[in-house]
Amino acid sequence: MKSIFFTGKGGTGKSTLSASAALQISERGKKVLLVSFDPAHNLGDIFHLELGHKKYSYTSNLYLQETDLEEAAREYLHSHLALLNEAYSYMKAFNLEKYFQVFQYSPGVEEYAALICLEKILNRENAFDFIVFDTPPTGLTLRILALPAITCAWLQHLIGLRRDILKKRYTIHNITGKYDPEGVELVYREDQDRVMQKILEMQQRYERVKRWLEGGDNMIAVVLNPDFLSLRESRRLMDGLQDLALKPAAALHNKVDPANLQAADEIEQALLGPDFALKLQRVYSTDLQAGQSCLVRRDLSQIFL
Amino acid sequence: MTTIIVVAGMALYVLLYMLYGKKLERDVVKVSDTCQTPAECMFDGVDYVSARRSVLFGHHFASIAGAAPIIGPVLAMAWGWLPALLWVWFGNIFIGAVHDYLALMASVRYDGRSIQFVASDLITKRTGQLFYYIVFFLLILVIAAFGAVLGGLFVDNPNIPSAYILKIIAALILGVLMYRMRINFLAATIAGIIMLILALWGGSLIPISLSYSSWMIIMFFYIIIASAIPVDVLLQPRDYLNSWLLYFGILIGGVAAVFSFHGFSAPAFTSFSPVISGGKATPFWPAIPLIIACGSLSGFHSLVGSGTTSKQLRTERDGLFIGYGGMLTEGFLSTLVIVAVAGFGLSLIQEAGQTISVSSWGQQYTAAMMGSYPKASMFTNSYAQMVNTTWLHFIPLGIVKVIAGLWVASFAMTTLDTSNRLARYTLGELLLPLKKSNESLFRFLTNRWVASLIPAAIGIWLAWSGNFTILWPSFGSANQLIASMALMTGATWALKRQNVKSAKILFPAYFLWVTITAAIIWFCAVILPGTIKSDPATGITVLCIELIMLGMNIVFIIDFIKYGSRMEPQPAS
Amino acid sequence: MLRELKRKLEQYIHTIERSQRETAVDLTRYELRELENIFVLLTIGSFIGLPAPPCAVSMELLPYLGHELEILNKRASESSDALAELMGSLDID
Repeated sequence: MKSIFFTGKGGTGKSTLSASAALQISERGKKVLLVSFDPAHNLGDIFHLELGHKKYSYTSNLYLQETDLEEAAREYLHSHLALLNEAYSYMKAFNLEKYFQVFQYSPGVEEYAALICLEKILNRENAFDFIVFDTPPTGLTLRILALPAITCAWLQHLIGLRRDILKKRYTIHNITGKYDPEGVELVYREDQDRVMQKILEMQQRYERVKRWLEGGDNMIAVVLNPDFLSLRESRRLMDGLQDLALKPAAALHNKVDPANLQAADEIEQALLGPDFALKLQRVYSTDLQAGQSCLVRRDLSQIFL
Repeated sequence: MTTIIVVAGMALYVLLYMLYGKKLERDVVKVSDTCQTPAECMFDGVDYVSARRSVLFGHHFASIAGAAPIIGPVLAMAWGWLPALLWVWFGNIFIGAVHDYLALMASVRYDGRSIQFVASDLITKRTGQLFYYIVFFLLILVIAAFGAVLGGLFVDNPNIPSAYILKIIAALILGVLMYRMRINFLAATIAGIIMLILALWGGSLIPISLSYSSWMIIMFFYIIIASAIPVDVLLQPRDYLNSWLLYFGILIGGVAAVFSFHGFSAPAFTSFSPVISGGKATPFWPAIPLIIACGSLSGFHSLVGSGTTSKQLRTERDGLFIGYGGMLTEGFLSTLVIVAVAGFGLSLIQEAGQTISVSSWGQQYTAAMMGSYPKASMFTNSYAQMVNTTWLHFIPLGIVKVIAGLWVASFAMTTLDTSNRLARYTLGELLLPLKKSNESLFRFLTNRWVASLIPAAIGIWLAWSGNFTILWPSFGSANQLIASMALMTGATWALKRQNVKSAKILFPAYFLWVTITAAIIWFCAVILPGTIKSDPATGITVLCIELIMLGMNIVFIIDFIKYGSRMEPQPAS
Repeated sequence: MLRELKRKLEQYIHTIERSQRETAVDLTRYELRELENIFVLLTIGSFIGLPAPPCAVSMELLPYLGHELEILNKRASESSDALAELMGSLDID
């Protein structure tokens, strides 16, 4: 199984290109799942369909899915708050509803919900040969992609601290524990410490996602347009990705036409620095399929196959 | 004579514990068996854990016992052994132990909060703040006083510093055994004790002779470094070894005192104002609390007791045994010291070639003692002699001296680096107002290293002068000022919360406050001017500190009169 | 009579042993409590305004941190009254 992330500024044509690429790859005989994380819900519009959370079989080789990030966030919160409520049932209950409402706007929840969805898809859908992701605008995408690494860093630190705590508890237990039947037994073994087990479990999960994202089976395509604003943003995006040890595999230069040919050349020069071994593919405005279709004719699948 | 006094002392303590202590328990504290202590109702398995009475006693006693109950009585022998003894006995029973006990019980009734908190609640918030200030100066002065003691001790008996260094190594090794490798506790303990004995023996073989100033410098760096090392590397194992040293020291000393049957060569009473402080006449009243601190009354104890012990008390009824009884036990320790010096001091001083006679003891003792066996050495040598005259004489004299010396040195050194750690914290607390007005200065002064350097530097610099007869009473003054504030707080608690207006509490409290205030005034007016002439650096520094503390004392008594002594609500702060 | 004495002696030694065991860990207990306080502050400090780990870490660990939360609350209320406790734990005397 391989995955492709189509990233880029809003309006550059991510949805169009990702849909086109997905369709083309599926026509080559591969099983493809196309997932949209874009809050703009363009996927359904492109295929003239009402799409939802469950995957929809467009053809036998191409499945479509639209993820509702808000819904995902709500669900994520709900399950955790339920757990909290259970654990602290002896305390005066939170006014769950009120707390709930505030929390869903809290920074980070949306990213996490997206990450959870991503994780679920990566874990579950290995029957597919390719999973193509249409991502939200740059900022949110970078934050989502950064989450596994940030979370792992925090978890590593917490693991270190927790280990110190358990070691000290063990020292105390070793010297006084057996002789104090009335004393509270503080857990000192790692395998019995629920907090430690939870942290380790979380670390495993996020490490997996992090490794996947950094690995060879994952490709990131940057979509840009022939204007300098787009160039700037793409540069920022690529720098951001590099900071996360994620290398973009391809750049798709979309909406090139005779009017901006020269600009397009210059932008490609600027973009393709000596460091990037980027595969570049131009997509012309003329490549758009005739009629009401939003798909492109130019073959994009070659870059990814 | 030694035997008689020791046995009489024990008997007196036990008797009055039963008669007087129980009365306090019943009438003032009004102990109830049904009322739950914080350790029971706020149990959390970490902090608020109830401990068995005897276990908690051991812990509390080890926390309050130190080097001070040893050094004070040595200096107080200038009055003759009887006045010193009377203060250690009756001052302890009626003032000191009462102070400890009330602080403990008030704290217990306040959910384990410290006496400082109780003071800020019952008197005014400002009173609570005063504690920070006075404690800060106390910490500097204790570094100065103990630094001087240690310097004198190390110079006089070079075997002791080497024994101490070997003991530090033993502590480091024990730390690895017990806290990293986690070998069996009993095995580690035995290993630790064996290493301790080896340190004693090794120390007696390899003296390290350095000058007083060199020791001052070494101690300065030791303070800075030791207060930065992680706890289970050095502090925890060192404290553990110290507790064994303490028990053996008291055991051997007690046995020796009882079995020595030696007469006293020192006079029972010399004069009301023999020469002690700064080479001048020092009146018994009001100066005695400044000279004998911990054996009889000590401000430290109220904070220690209300800081940790109160959170671990299983039932209220244990309080008397631990708080009152613990202090009496320390009084017993001071009794041992007096007995040792009274019995053997004269001959020791004469052997060292100093002129002294029984009739001129009052005039000559301090100078002769400082000349021959300065400060703590008087104790270590007398102790060693005392042990030597009994059936315990199979332990070589040199080693007994090192045992006693190591005992004093260990507790004194612990106090030094603990004071430094605490001074860092206290400085941060009392400089808080500065945070608003000059933030960068605040950050600089409370920086971990700067805040460590300031008290260590001032303390060691004062100790450098070696002017012990000035430094010791100034430490005493700060300590007892805290004690008087704590006892007044205890009295206020008895009045406001217990509805008890008992002379048993009020009289000691007021008497103590008046005594300490008079003592500080006397110290500033009579003694320090002389010091400023002979040793201006020390004199002026100490005078400044004393005057600041005196000022705070006045603020305290004003607040106390306004809000503490009457059943009026305090102003909302 | 002798048995009674033996029993008393055993009890006495047992008490000393327990007392010494406590002495051997008192500073470690203090340090442990502070570490646990730091742990919980790091994990869910966002609830009291501290910069926080990614919210998933806080949220997913919260149900298991009952004991630590107790410590957090206690330390928060006690932190203004730390002087005496420090003096006791660090053995000033």
